[in-house]
Amino acid sequence: MKQSISQIKNSLKKKSISVEELHDEFFKKAKLNSNNAYNLITDKAQNKSLIDESQKRYDNSNSLPLDGIPLGIKDLFCTKGVRTTASSKILSNFIPNYESFVTQQLLNDGSIFIGKNNCDEFAMGSSNETSHFGPVINPWKNKNEPNNNLVPGGSSGGSAAAVAEGSCVASMGTDTGGSIRQPASLCGIVGLKPTFGSCSRWGIVAFASSLDQAGPLTNCVEDAAHILNSINKYDFNDSTSSNHKRDDYVKDLNKKFEKKIKIGIPSDYLKDVSQDILNQIENAKKVLSQHDIEFIDVEFTTTEYALSTYYILAPAEASSNLARYDGIRYGVREKGENLDDIYLNSRTKGFGDEVTRRILIGAYVLSAGYYDAYYRQAQKVRRLIKNDFERILKDVDFILTPTTPNEAFKIGDKLDPISMYKNDIYTVPTSLAGLPGVSIPSGLSSNGLPLGIQFIGNYFQEKKLLQLAALAEKELAFNE
Amino acid sequence: MSDIDIKRISYLAKLKLPQEKEEFYANSLKEIINWVDNLKQIDTNEVKPLHNVTNTTESIRNDEIKKYNLVEEVLSNAPERAQNFFKVPKVVD
Repeated sequence: MKQSISQIKNSLKKKSISVEELHDEFFKKAKLNSNNAYNLITDKAQNKSLIDESQKRYDNSNSLPLDGIPLGIKDLFCTKGVRTTASSKILSNFIPNYESFVTQQLLNDGSIFIGKNNCDEFAMGSSNETSHFGPVINPWKNKNEPNNNLVPGGSSGGSAAAVAEGSCVASMGTDTGGSIRQPASLCGIVGLKPTFGSCSRWGIVAFASSLDQAGPLTNCVEDAAHILNSINKYDFNDSTSSNHKRDDYVKDLNKKFEKKIKIGIPSDYLKDVSQDILNQIENAKKVLSQHDIEFIDVEFTTTEYALSTYYILAPAEASSNLARYDGIRYGVREKGENLDDIYLNSRTKGFGDEVTRRILIGAYVLSAGYYDAYYRQAQKVRRLIKNDFERILKDVDFILTPTTPNEAFKIGDKLDPISMYKNDIYTVPTSLAGLPGVSIPSGLSSNGLPLGIQFIGNYFQEKKLLQLAALAEKELAFNE
Repeated sequence: MSDIDIKRISYLAKLKLPQEKEEFYANSLKEIINWVDNLKQIDTNEVKPLHNVTNTTESIRNDEIKKYNLVEEVLSNAPERAQNFFKVPKVVD
């Protein structure tokens, strides 16, 4: 049985385990890297002083909020002195000389990094198959086809697999169109994407800057609240960081809602879904209805345009963000006779197929003659999508949806990009609206694979959102 | 939709696609552009483009110089360097 952060901290406080023993337990598992969930595992020698300092704090009874907790970090966060690759060939030799804001907060709170988690290249993918370092294997198997290796989802696939296999207590991921929630769902764990602007993007390898958001992948909702307490802070260095007052997300997590709450279920999301997926929603509705929660059918008018909007805006921003990889100041440089050759060769050989494809889409929709028809039109439709959410959130407190349209699929199964993109149909609209969403495990499919449900809350209302998720988690009592 | 000039687009993106892959990317790009074309059905004449989703004002700061003296750290990732410079092939004759 996996232990929560609070339980582990209690054991450390009671001295039934030392920080070093705890570290070694996870480190040993990570070192096997049996699911390829890590691009890099931190040497124990490198962590030794952190382990000792943490133990000292426990000995002096002044431990920090995440003291000694072994975490995985998606290989998209810059970590000082530790190779950071974004799972790309072009950054395969990059050693940042600064620490991302989010990972710095986690270090300040005493946590210890077990390693850097594999992910889709530059976070572009929904299956972790686009990584330069090979696919990640989902620790779960289809009970009817136990020999097949399944995808963990993506792009934070290594983070999700690492938490699910138990090689770290929690992992930091990033979510642009579903990259935390979708892999969390396919690996049977909790994944939280906070409101855009909550957690600083400073030091995270940029994909689509108007959408990227950091968040935790954890075994339980309470762990997500612990991590959120650490990372959800204003940061001057991120120009889109919000300066609102943050809550304590752990305090009162299990407190009852003071008044009756309403949850909307979008009927348009449930058209054509499989019985397995439908069961998750029906079951959640059934168990939560006993708690003075009212369910209301709602209907979006913009859902069918969400993926198109996303696949114009995200590649456009990506093509511009990835212009910095030119082989001059850092990263892998390929030979060339002149400067232009160096740019062309380094970029062409440094990026994989999916990244190349998205850069091309981005360059196309931003190019002269197409900008208004695609990019500007998508920005306008994005406003309509946001308005659509705001209209519905006037009538209900939360929205409940499936997290994914399907269970984990076989590695190599989805070869054409559009069918891969459709994996994010339930997570992309929330990202476009900038709203917070949390995926929690809700049950198993008929093949014995985990499925998740997503709760969507209002802007910066992570506290209420996690309270609801904690209640649903308890009621669904999902166990491996 | 007009045909996609993959050579032009890839040059704009500073990519040199190998010839045998040009068609693969051209078809893929065409398929995706066709797929996102449904946005054109929506009348957005009265709609303003959305840039910042949470309506927060982007923070600005005074333009003050801070000295960190990180020359060695910054250059430590350089593929090629000469003294305190990034080294590149000759640009001007």
